[in-house]
Amino acid sequence: MKTNYRSPQQFFRQRQLRLWVVLIILIAIYWLSMAIVSFQTIPSIVKVPAGLVWLFKNFVPTQRSISYLGPILYQLWRTLLVAVSSTICASFFGLIFAILGAKTTTPSPILRVVIRFGASLLRNIPVVAWSMILLFSFKQSDFTGFLALFFMTLGYLTRAFTETIEDLDGEKLQALQAVGANYFQCVFCGVLPEVASTLTSWVLYMIENNLRDATLVGILTGTGVGFLFDHYFKSFRYDAAGLIVLLIAILVILLELSSTQIRRAIA
Amino acid sequence: MLKVIELDKTYGQDKHSLKSVNFTAQPGEVTAIIGPSGAGKTTILRSVNQLIRDNGGQILLDDEDIRQANKKELRKIRHHIGMIFQNYNLISPLTALENVLHGRLGAKSTMAGMLGLYSNAEKAEALELLAEVGLKDYAYQRCDQLSGGQQQRVGIARALMQHPKMILCDEPIASLDPKSTRTVMDILRRLAKEKQLIILINLHQIDVAREYADHIVGINSGAIVFEGPSQSVDDTVLQKIYRQADSTATVTANEN
Amino acid sequence: MIENSSTTPKTLPQPNPKTKRISMMTRPRLILRTVLGGLTLVTLYSLLTLNTANLKLSEAFKSLGTNLHSMFLQPSVGQDSWNLLLTALTRSVSLAMLTTLLGALFAFFIAVGAARNLSPTWLANTIKAVMAFIRSIPTILWVLIYSVTMGLGANAAVVGLTFHSIAYLVKAYSESIEETSSDTIEALKASGVGFWPIVFQAILPSIIPALLSWTFIRFEINFANAVAVGAAAGADDIGYYLFMSGSFYSNFHEVGLIVYLLLGVAVILELVSMRLRGHYLQKN
Repeated sequence: MKTNYRSPQQFFRQRQLRLWVVLIILIAIYWLSMAIVSFQTIPSIVKVPAGLVWLFKNFVPTQRSISYLGPILYQLWRTLLVAVSSTICASFFGLIFAILGAKTTTPSPILRVVIRFGASLLRNIPVVAWSMILLFSFKQSDFTGFLALFFMTLGYLTRAFTETIEDLDGEKLQALQAVGANYFQCVFCGVLPEVASTLTSWVLYMIENNLRDATLVGILTGTGVGFLFDHYFKSFRYDAAGLIVLLIAILVILLELSSTQIRRAIA
Repeated sequence: MLKVIELDKTYGQDKHSLKSVNFTAQPGEVTAIIGPSGAGKTTILRSVNQLIRDNGGQILLDDEDIRQANKKELRKIRHHIGMIFQNYNLISPLTALENVLHGRLGAKSTMAGMLGLYSNAEKAEALELLAEVGLKDYAYQRCDQLSGGQQQRVGIARALMQHPKMILCDEPIASLDPKSTRTVMDILRRLAKEKQLIILINLHQIDVAREYADHIVGINSGAIVFEGPSQSVDDTVLQKIYRQADSTATVTANEN
Repeated sequence: MIENSSTTPKTLPQPNPKTKRISMMTRPRLILRTVLGGLTLVTLYSLLTLNTANLKLSEAFKSLGTNLHSMFLQPSVGQDSWNLLLTALTRSVSLAMLTTLLGALFAFFIAVGAARNLSPTWLANTIKAVMAFIRSIPTILWVLIYSVTMGLGANAAVVGLTFHSIAYLVKAYSESIEETSSDTIEALKASGVGFWPIVFQAILPSIIPALLSWTFIRFEINFANAVAVGAAAGADDIGYYLFMSGSFYSNFHEVGLIVYLLLGVAVILELVSMRLRGHYLQKN
């Protein structure tokens, strides 16, 4: 695509014009959104530092908050369990769907379309909606959170796994077929070992993500550490709420660090 | 005139990369530095514009010691020293014209540089320089759509845009095919003569050095072992330059 | 499950009992299996101990079936009006756009400080650590925390969402910046170009596609977050109506309609992002 301009001036004018158009559109979007949400940029930004100071004063755990440590740690543990188990169960089904749905390994193109559609449906329903849908039937139990995270994760992982498998070099499979391997042998001895470490990275990432989302689900469904936070928060026990925030942060960072280590070790 | 005096560079303790390097390069001439890989060619070149900080000596460009310059002065000096690279180092999503104009960035205020505001005269000059290296029709092409030889010529135009006294060339033809090699070297030789530039060039290929350079500096294990006109490079000289590197050289090889 | 992934034979059949067992277990594979095995055990444990005391699973699933039926096959506006729901939906989209733009603007400048190839190591590491801390706290908690100082409502929602967006985008942006080759930066440095001109003239043009795609991913996340904020922190957007219809009125026809609306937005976002990426790749 060789484009010719009459002069460099014209070329740069056109470049600049494009830049301005993009900038103006962005600013317009910003103003419009600001008006719709009724957000005041300057006053709010000015308040941020004061807010942070207030936060450090009131959310810092005190002597008193140590007494809350027992229930908090218990609920944090329950929440972690929900995050892990929902991810692992979702990855189990996600892997089956991905093998059936990936272009390279699918047994039938119709199945592929169905799986793709289903995964994208699951993925695009926000976790809040899942919580609301499930709350009525499964009440205030860990199971509600588990299922909500499970469905959303299933959508995500099916798609991620499918893409990973499709990225696989087709010739490697042909090499196995040439040896005379059947479908299952191809999948189990060729595809899976090849993608195992990438898939595990995805699983680890989803566990981190689900731990954060589990807090949200907990607030909505009244379970786990999210519920506890909401409870302390609404009864103005900010130091206890702060302790929860701190512990969640520590747990997430630990999880992040260890999954980085694991990823490096299995790469 | 570029005069390098007693230049020293050590990496860590007693890993010498350069040992008391002395040589001169004259305007209007192509000066080639040759030597086995790991001998310190790249270190010399990058010390000249202080991309690598050396440990002692003098680098005089028109009797001004580059090593004495502070950060701001160094930027000013660098602006008058063009540099071209083995891998061209262009910003690939930008057009050839924009890459050539980058040669002016060093002369601009931070604000004008950030926004990329160039005057019409500068734009016209950039086009002219592209024409000079034979790329008039490619001014509005993205650089990653150009061939290696074409990219290197854009690199030369970018260096010229700096109105340089000197151009440093770090293995400029190592990734090029023979035909592009000739084009690029022809341009460099012509520029040295026409604009009275100091052209200092690292080369791997002895035959190219002999054909195109006026002046040759031979280096082995961080020390100058030969300096003289290219006609006087014969087999004994080459043997001296390329004799088996000793153990210290293999250490410095990792550094380069 | 994935650990079946390596059902490759661990040992070859031994024709002669005297020969040594030939192990095909490499260290990475051992670690992989240990990790997956451990996670599976945790999962089994938690499934067995999951709090289902006051729950009859068969009945629960049956009622879920009924609810899904009324959601997806008989959606309706319920006690709210179309007008109200669409306004709320617009507000959610606006909230997502606002926080993404604001976050992207701040994040770019912070990311320059956090990129190892541009900044001193101590600064880069400090910024990265702070961002990791902010990121580790769920978005919804940031919104709730800010709502104490700013009052429940739009301002707290925007600030909280922006906070998390900045932390997320700084990580993504700085990694993109670190991927630009140090050679190109060196080339401009060699000609005496200062810091900010290099950032805007060399680095920015090289990473625009990466920045765009990360920003768009964040936009999708922020939309989901905006809905969450409505549901959990009472911001007046579609999430609030979702929460009310689901948890308060138990009107699943309305939940269904809102889910359809959310899906519609997701589809539009997907199309726009595809167009945007296609357009950009083609143009350049």
